[in-house]
Amino acid sequence: MIHSRAPIAFVAPAVILMFIILIAPVFIAGTLSFTDYNLGNPGFNWVGWKNYDALVSRTGYKKMFSASLAYVLIVVPISVALGLGSALLISSLRFGGEVYKTVFFLPVMATLLAMAIVWEFTLDPIVGVLNHVLRSGCDIGWLHSFLTGSWLGMDATSSWYGHGCSETFPLWIGDKDYALGTIAFIGIWQAFGFNMVLYLAGLTSVPRELYSAAAMDGADSGWERFKLVTWPMLGPTHVFVVTITSIRSFQVFDTVEALTRGGPSKSTYVMVYAMFEKGIRQNLIGVGSAITVVFLAFVLILTMTQVYFVNRRVHYS
Amino acid sequence: MNPRTHFPSEILKHAILLGGAMVVILPFYLMLSFSLKSPAEITSITGGFFGSQELITDPRCIKEGKPKAECTMRPIVYNYTAAFKEAPLLRYLLNGVIVTVSIFIIQVLVALPCAYALAKLRFWGRDVVFGLVIFCLLIPVHAIALPLYIMLAKVGLTNTYAALVIPWTISVFGIFLMRQFFKTVPDDLIDAARMDGMSEFSIVWKVMLPTAIPALLAFAIFSVVAHWNDYYWPRVVITGDRDLMTPPLGLRMFKSDLDGNEYGPMMAATTVIVAPLVVAFLLAQRRFIEGITLTGMK
Repeated sequence: MIHSRAPIAFVAPAVILMFIILIAPVFIAGTLSFTDYNLGNPGFNWVGWKNYDALVSRTGYKKMFSASLAYVLIVVPISVALGLGSALLISSLRFGGEVYKTVFFLPVMATLLAMAIVWEFTLDPIVGVLNHVLRSGCDIGWLHSFLTGSWLGMDATSSWYGHGCSETFPLWIGDKDYALGTIAFIGIWQAFGFNMVLYLAGLTSVPRELYSAAAMDGADSGWERFKLVTWPMLGPTHVFVVTITSIRSFQVFDTVEALTRGGPSKSTYVMVYAMFEKGIRQNLIGVGSAITVVFLAFVLILTMTQVYFVNRRVHYS
Repeated sequence: MNPRTHFPSEILKHAILLGGAMVVILPFYLMLSFSLKSPAEITSITGGFFGSQELITDPRCIKEGKPKAECTMRPIVYNYTAAFKEAPLLRYLLNGVIVTVSIFIIQVLVALPCAYALAKLRFWGRDVVFGLVIFCLLIPVHAIALPLYIMLAKVGLTNTYAALVIPWTISVFGIFLMRQFFKTVPDDLIDAARMDGMSEFSIVWKVMLPTAIPALLAFAIFSVVAHWNDYYWPRVVITGDRDLMTPPLGLRMFKSDLDGNEYGPMMAATTVIVAPLVVAFLLAQRRFIEGITLTGMK
């Protein structure tokens, strides 16, 4: 035991900052969610559960929950699958693996807001490259008939591509049916390289002997080896990757704020954006705090689920 | 195993990965390409990667009454000069450096002594403090943004550098990471330093800090990348004052007050903002991947 004030002096700044910056705000948000507080008014009134009632009853907020949930449900499975898929392919390559790894990791590094703006230009209905390429495909006979399915005798104009050729291709972020999917696409583009690296790390920890053991048990095909050895041995990695991707997708903000501002017709009105719009832009701090509390609850549930799975899991190491 | 039987599957794997790589690279390619081309080439999607680099005339410059020769230039020159002239891009970059560097330095100043105390000193309440650190790891930044914004507004600190830095001065993740690292440092090293009469304070900065350089480097990469790229928090606390904007926020403002379709200068600005981290990443990939993923549990 060191009888000096050193430990206290070392720990005190961190503890004080933790209380002021991390813990106090959580309680402040909890308290304010029961008030009609706003910046500029000296006092406030207690309003009970009114703010939470609004969250469950008003259509705007119902759209908020469904947009957030849909975003998470699109981004998590696809970016996890792409991360695992690319990790498996890269780790089985003879050469060139490092190059793909670098390329796939680039979006993780790059400023998301900046890249969102580039995607916006790419997806622009008039000058964007994507619709330009789609349009130019319409004039190439064989490609048109292949993509519309008319080579199989299907009606060209009833297909998605044929419709795009004869009318217009989607506005992407400007169309309420496509906006969320498009924002989710950017989210996947950004996130899967991160998952890939986690899976690559997970794969290196799978003991080689297990594959020969599986081969002796008659697992000859790559698929069987994957099913018997790789997939179960990656258990802890799966739990970590899925949780962290879910938490990050719940926090999507940059792309929504820069490209759609929650629209069109609230199709991309995700939670963190709603928190920002209500609490900070419109100074409706009560409602903003209520969204904050619900958001925090979601994130904590996800984290607890992870802890539960990690503890329950058999560790092979 | 016969290598020849693997040949087709190897090709197939490369084909799949190459397709994916092209989609991933696409926006980077377009960003760079648009930053080089003339407005006409951008909107008509012609000119390949570099564009023809034919001289163009800046109509705004003519309107200001300058001679035509001065207003005529190559698209690449036009785009990049416009980016630095119309958006105070240098200012944004400078702000980005000021903010990320101050955040990192303060984080280390706060976290290192605490981590050392938690790892190597025995004192009353140590487990409570460590429990507190673990608890705080669970709190996501977006959940404290609104109350922090109110607190800063109440003390009149919005629209200051302080507002950009204060919320990040405490990194519980940094404390956790450094504590785990210090646990692996042998006690003998510290005992020897004590025998030499060093104070606990100088042990932290003269003995522990040098041993912790690899872990600190990983944490530095994590911290700098996160705060250089952060858009949410600057968006919340900086309203209007351009002199305080960080690169992503400045870029966002540039986008919203573009007149017409000035894609070229816009993409030039984007390139300048994205470039530092991407170049650093390409130069030290292993360290970056390590820094971002090992510490990616935040």
